[in-house]
Amino acid sequence: MDYYVSVATFAALNVILALGLNLISGFCGQVSLGHAAFYGLGAYAAALCSVAGAPLGLSMLAGVLVAGLAGAVVGFAALRVREDFLAIVTMGVGFLFLGAVRKQQWLGAEMGIARIPSPLDKWGYAMLAIGAAIALVLLSAHVRRSWMGRAFGAVAQDEDAARTIGIDVAGYKIAAFFLGTAAAGLAGAIYAHMTQLIVPDAFNFVQSVTILAMVVVGGIGSTLGVVAGAVLLTLMPEMFRFINDYKLLVYGALLLVVMRFSPEGLAGIVYRLIGRRLA
Amino acid sequence: MYYVELLLIGLVWGCTYAMMALGLTLVYGLLRILHVAQATVFTLGAYAGLLTANGTGSLPLAFLVGALVAGASGPVIYRLVYQPILDKPPFVALVASIGILIAMEDGFRLLFGPYGLSFAHNPWFTDTVGFAGLSLNVVQIWIVIAAVVLLSAFAIFASRTRAGVAWRATVSDPPIAESFGVSVRGVRYTAFFIASVLAGIAGVLVGLLNNLVEPGMGGLISYKGLAIIVLGGLGNVPGTLAASLLLGLVEAYGTVFLDKALDRDAIAFLFLIAILMVRPQGLLGKAH
Amino acid sequence: MSAILAGEGLSIAFGGVRAVAGVSLKVERGELVGLIGPNGAGKTTLLRLLTGVLAPDAGRVAFEGRDVTRLPIHRRAQLGLVLTHQIVRPFREMTLAENVMVAAAPEVTRRPWTALARVDARAARARALALLERLGIGDAADKPARSVPLGYLKRMQVARALALGPRLLMLDEPLAGLNYTEAARLADLIAALNADGLTMVLVEHNLGEVTRIARRLLVLHNGAVLAEGAPRAVMARAEVREAYLGHAGAVGAHA
Repeated sequence: MDYYVSVATFAALNVILALGLNLISGFCGQVSLGHAAFYGLGAYAAALCSVAGAPLGLSMLAGVLVAGLAGAVVGFAALRVREDFLAIVTMGVGFLFLGAVRKQQWLGAEMGIARIPSPLDKWGYAMLAIGAAIALVLLSAHVRRSWMGRAFGAVAQDEDAARTIGIDVAGYKIAAFFLGTAAAGLAGAIYAHMTQLIVPDAFNFVQSVTILAMVVVGGIGSTLGVVAGAVLLTLMPEMFRFINDYKLLVYGALLLVVMRFSPEGLAGIVYRLIGRRLA
Repeated sequence: MYYVELLLIGLVWGCTYAMMALGLTLVYGLLRILHVAQATVFTLGAYAGLLTANGTGSLPLAFLVGALVAGASGPVIYRLVYQPILDKPPFVALVASIGILIAMEDGFRLLFGPYGLSFAHNPWFTDTVGFAGLSLNVVQIWIVIAAVVLLSAFAIFASRTRAGVAWRATVSDPPIAESFGVSVRGVRYTAFFIASVLAGIAGVLVGLLNNLVEPGMGGLISYKGLAIIVLGGLGNVPGTLAASLLLGLVEAYGTVFLDKALDRDAIAFLFLIAILMVRPQGLLGKAH
Repeated sequence: MSAILAGEGLSIAFGGVRAVAGVSLKVERGELVGLIGPNGAGKTTLLRLLTGVLAPDAGRVAFEGRDVTRLPIHRRAQLGLVLTHQIVRPFREMTLAENVMVAAAPEVTRRPWTALARVDARAARARALALLERLGIGDAADKPARSVPLGYLKRMQVARALALGPRLLMLDEPLAGLNYTEAARLADLIAALNADGLTMVLVEHNLGEVTRIARRLLVLHNGAVLAEGAPRAVMARAEVREAYLGHAGAVGAHA
């Protein structure tokens, strides 16, 4: 039973991560290949607070804010460069985070931070994670329906045209990054307390790619699609045990196949079947 | 003396990067694709070379096989993966490329084991050459030689041969090139072949340098290669070369001075991000 | 001063070539000004300087008495100085109505966080539909932008600009790429919008239409103002004909 609770919790965390990335890349069209860095920032910030004695709520808040603010800073970078360049800059941010953390003794260097206090039990974290995931689904759906969603769409499809109709493209990009990375920070904070040990390698480029895979397979831009993608890619290695050994091979192949045959992911396939265009 | 040693190390690293980055900029110039999967080609060449060397004991043969195996895989990737999705938005190709890289890294791990393979007989690894009070590893010297030879060969190719001119024409304006009888597809296959051969040779060299060929060896060089082509001005060959050497030097000196704060890769990307923030078009790119 | 837009001594050079050299101009409230000139005269560049797409090397731009020279594009648009591009730039994945709607609530989209709080788009949709009707393309309101012909997109672009409630609308070659009938109809519409009180500046190559609807013409040549005045008078001047044709022949023979 414990095992299923654990898997469910991880699925929920992945949903949060994927929806955050979807907000940045899917809704607002800003490529981000370093999302795991914000996951890590949230985890480290929360861990440090808890180890220093702060209550869970405060630690989690710290995780969310640190990740969100860092995201806003990276968002500023997105103002200067676009598309391919932005892809590389965000990838670089990921490596920068990793390389910096690995060297800092006060962050535990390569060994990470251990013995993080854990005030909740397995069920507690499951509830927390699932609750947060649901909140994020609702937020995601709300953003999509709201005027922010409309403006995001304009920025994503043609930012120069968006400027000429009075849209503060810079402000929206930064807002997108802030929201998306704050979500990643939330996931990181929960993760840190749940596992009680965090190491830098948990937040590397492969992790960023994994999150990207969830978004892409589910259907970039589609809230439900991304949820499906995250759940599927979390459960798959668990359901088919042998896949666990080939996890990256499968993820990589999935990315390849999806991009080659159906770049709009699962959501795209579903919509094509129903005959509607991607909403 | 120490700083001169660092200079040489930086140049050696820079030469390795240059061999990867030239291929990346070739592909980008033609197709606007960030060919992250170059890492796979690099590693494939390294494994092929190592297996040949261990099997036959001949290093020249190892280079040949490595170059050819790698050289064949590049165009295959183009034909199977990139060509069908050329009309899609750019991130599709990038994500597909990342998919190849991640999948093949795991594939190499499954085929050859996670810990990597070593050369059975690697005299270059231990031999050194001394001059002017400095001591250089033989592989390092070969890396510089290979880079100089190959890059010069490419420069001659691009400016003097028909194929090279055809390539430059296709980069500037594919439809016009086509109307002059240039086979755009031929140019693309050639570009991928050249890029992959370079990567394959680089792979064997790096394998010799570390006396280790392992599944993930291509990743960082490829990512940094992307950073380099952005810095040097996309599609701009001299710029790419300059940026490669510059990055090598920055890493060499940076790891000494910033050792307490950042590791080598972080320094490389910090440098890249800083430059892009100041000059979003790259070091030698044109402002838009 | 009644001039709604004033550019003073605007200059910009690209790599040694002076695209615009010390141009000064005024646009009065309610005018329909045609900005014409042969290829390479600097018309589009001047428009970009006025709307903030480009920053001038020298000179000032004042809009409704306020110096906007350093103001970014979106701020000028929010103040009412709006540009439509020469090459249509629709939001491809949206319908025509959605395209116009994005511009139809500037007070809401002004700040991202207020935009997040607001969901209600009924008023914006009503406005969008009305504008599309006005521009004669109401029937295609719910078609995706990537599936409608160029003529529709050009009109949608104008509707989208109107949705902002502009005080001065600058149109960069709105008639380009349209056939004879479409161009005439769109020109009529532009004239009608001006008759309703909207100040407009038109950059156009279609001399027949622009001389017909504009109240005043400004001729640009080699980055400087060559002539200015009522359309017929300006087109009759020898230096204008020479600039266009290289010799003093008849210009704009089609009417």
